[in-house]
Amino acid sequence: MYADTVIGDKLIRKPRFLLGLLAVAFIAFFTFNMADTIIGEFLRPVIGEPKESGLFGRSAAALVLAILFVGNLFVISLFPIKVQIGIVWLQLLLLFMAFFYSFDLKFSFIQSKIGFMITQGLFTTLYISAVSIMIASVIAIVGAVAKLSNNGVAFAIASFYTSLFRGLPLLMQVFLIYMGLPQIGYVIDAVPAGIIALSLCYGAYMTEIFRAGIQSIPRGQWEASRSQGFKFGLTMRRIILPQAVPLIIPPTGNQFIAMLKDSSLVSVIGVWELMFLARTLGQKEFRHMEMLITAALIYWCLTMVLEVIQSRIEKHYRQKGAR
Amino acid sequence: MKPYTKLIAAAIIASASSLTPALAGEVLDQIMSEGMLTVATDANWAPQSFLNDDNEMDGFDVDVAKEIASRMSVDIEFVTPDWSIITAGNWAGRWDISVGSMTPTTARAEVLSFPGVYYFTPTSFAVHEESPIQDKLELNGARICATTASTYELYLQQDLEIDAVGTPPFEYDVVPGEISSMKDTSTCLNDVRLGAGVRVDGVIGSLPALLAAKDAGFPIRIVGTPAFYEPLSVAIDKGDAELDAKIAEIVAAMHADGTLTEMSIKWYGIDYSAGM
Repeated sequence: MYADTVIGDKLIRKPRFLLGLLAVAFIAFFTFNMADTIIGEFLRPVIGEPKESGLFGRSAAALVLAILFVGNLFVISLFPIKVQIGIVWLQLLLLFMAFFYSFDLKFSFIQSKIGFMITQGLFTTLYISAVSIMIASVIAIVGAVAKLSNNGVAFAIASFYTSLFRGLPLLMQVFLIYMGLPQIGYVIDAVPAGIIALSLCYGAYMTEIFRAGIQSIPRGQWEASRSQGFKFGLTMRRIILPQAVPLIIPPTGNQFIAMLKDSSLVSVIGVWELMFLARTLGQKEFRHMEMLITAALIYWCLTMVLEVIQSRIEKHYRQKGAR
Repeated sequence: MKPYTKLIAAAIIASASSLTPALAGEVLDQIMSEGMLTVATDANWAPQSFLNDDNEMDGFDVDVAKEIASRMSVDIEFVTPDWSIITAGNWAGRWDISVGSMTPTTARAEVLSFPGVYYFTPTSFAVHEESPIQDKLELNGARICATTASTYELYLQQDLEIDAVGTPPFEYDVVPGEISSMKDTSTCLNDVRLGAGVRVDGVIGSLPALLAAKDAGFPIRIVGTPAFYEPLSVAIDKGDAELDAKIAEIVAAMHADGTLTEMSIKWYGIDYSAGM
C-alpha cells in the first residue's frame, strides 16, 4: 500500500463505476460467444436450445456472466483486506486450474514421471541456480567496487564486462562458452559451462544493481561522515552500506527468481534439468503438455518460496528503518 | 627456470598440444584405456532414442550403441547434447561417437567421419487426417514443417547431398511455399494436429517416427510414396582412422550376423537394415 495518509471513497461503492464495469464485462463476454458453453446449458429453460438461440441467447449469457462478475467483485469488497486477497487468489487459481484441466491431461502419466522430475530435474535446476547465484554475487561485489573506484583500468575492465554480458542473449552465452572454450583448448562439461554462463550474465546485471544502490546514497552522507574523521572503510561499512542494502535487496531478489527460470536455457547443451526433462519425458507417449505443465507448476512453486523469502527480508529492513 | 615460469611454460605447452587435431588412434586408445565409450544421442527421437518408463535411455539407436560397446568390451555412457551441437563436429573429446541415426550428408562429412551405415529409413510427408491433400505432390507451395538442421529440411531446401555408397537416387518433387523450421519432429506434429492449414499444411519426417505418432493417436495421415530413403550412420569426429576402422568392422559384422535385422524388427517391425 502507498504510505499516503488520505484515503478516498471506495470506487466499487459508486453506482456509476459499477454500471460502467457491468457494460465493459457485458461487451467482453458478448464478444466471446458464451451461449454454447456451460453457461448456455444453465440458461436452457430461458433461451431454449443454446446453439439456436442466436443473438438473444448470446446477450442473455453475456448479461448473466457480467452480473455474476460484478456481483462477485462487490461481495468481495465487503470483506477485510486480508480476506479479499485470499479470495481473489483462490478464484484466479481455480480459473487457472480449470484452464489446465480443459487440456484433457492424463494424470496417471504425470504421477509416474513426477518423482524423476523432482529427484533428477528439480535437483539439477536447484544446484545449478544456487552455485551460479553465489558466484554471481561475488562477481557483482567485485564489479561494483571496480566500477565505483577511480582506478581507470579497474573501471574499464568492469564496464567492458557488464557491457558485454548484458549485451548478449544468455542463450548465446551458453553456446559460446560451451562450444567456444574447447577451441582454445579448455574442454569443459555441460554443467560447468552452464554455471559459468549464468554466473557471468547475472554477475553483470547484479554489478549494476549494487553500483546503483551504493551511488544512490546522497553525497551529504559521505561528506558528513568524512568530516567526522571516519576513514573510507568505516564510512562504507557503517554509513553507506546500511542505507544501500535495503535498496539493493528488492532488485537482487528479482534476479534470483529470474535466474532460477533462466537456468532452463542450459537444457540446450544436454543438462538433465527440469526443462530438459519436461521436453523429453513425454516424448515416447507423445504426452508433451502433461510434462510441460508439471514442470511449469514446479517452477512456480519454487519462485513462490523465493518471493516469500524476499518479502520477509524486505520487511526486516523496513522495520529497521521505521521511526 | 624459476618454478612459476616452468609452470607457465608447461601450461602453454599443454594448451598448445590440445589444440592439435586428434592423433591417429588417440580416441580409440582413450576408449580402451578408460574402458568407457561415451555416446552422444538425442533423447527426443522415439523410437530411435528416448527415455523409457524407467527413465533410462532406450530405443533402436541405444540398442545399436550398446551392442557396439559390448563388442569393444567397454562400458557405455550416454550424453544428450542438442542435435545441432552433435552435427557441428569439433567434439573436442567430450564424447567418442554418435549413434543417432545421422545421415552422412556431404556438408556433414566435412566435419565428421561416417564409418558405418547401420540402416536406411524412408522419409515421408504427413498431413492432418482431415486435410484435403491426398498426395505429396499437392504439397507443392504449401507450408511444411521440418526439424531444424535435419536432412528433411535440407530436402525442402533442395540442398540435400547424401554422401554414402548405396544411397538410392531421389528427386525434389515437392517444393514448399514456406518451411516452418522447428526444434524436433514432435513440435511439428503438435502443429499439424491443430488442424489442416492452421499452423502448417504438412510435415516431413522419418516414416517410422510418423507412424509411431499415428499409433499414439495423432490425427495424421501419410501421403504419397517416400520422398527419399536415407542411409543412417554412426558418426565420429574427424582424424582417428583407427577408431574409424574399428567401428566400420563392428558395424559390418552386425550386418553380417543379422544383429541389426533383429534389432530393426524389434523396434520397427520391419527390417530397415538392408536398404531397399
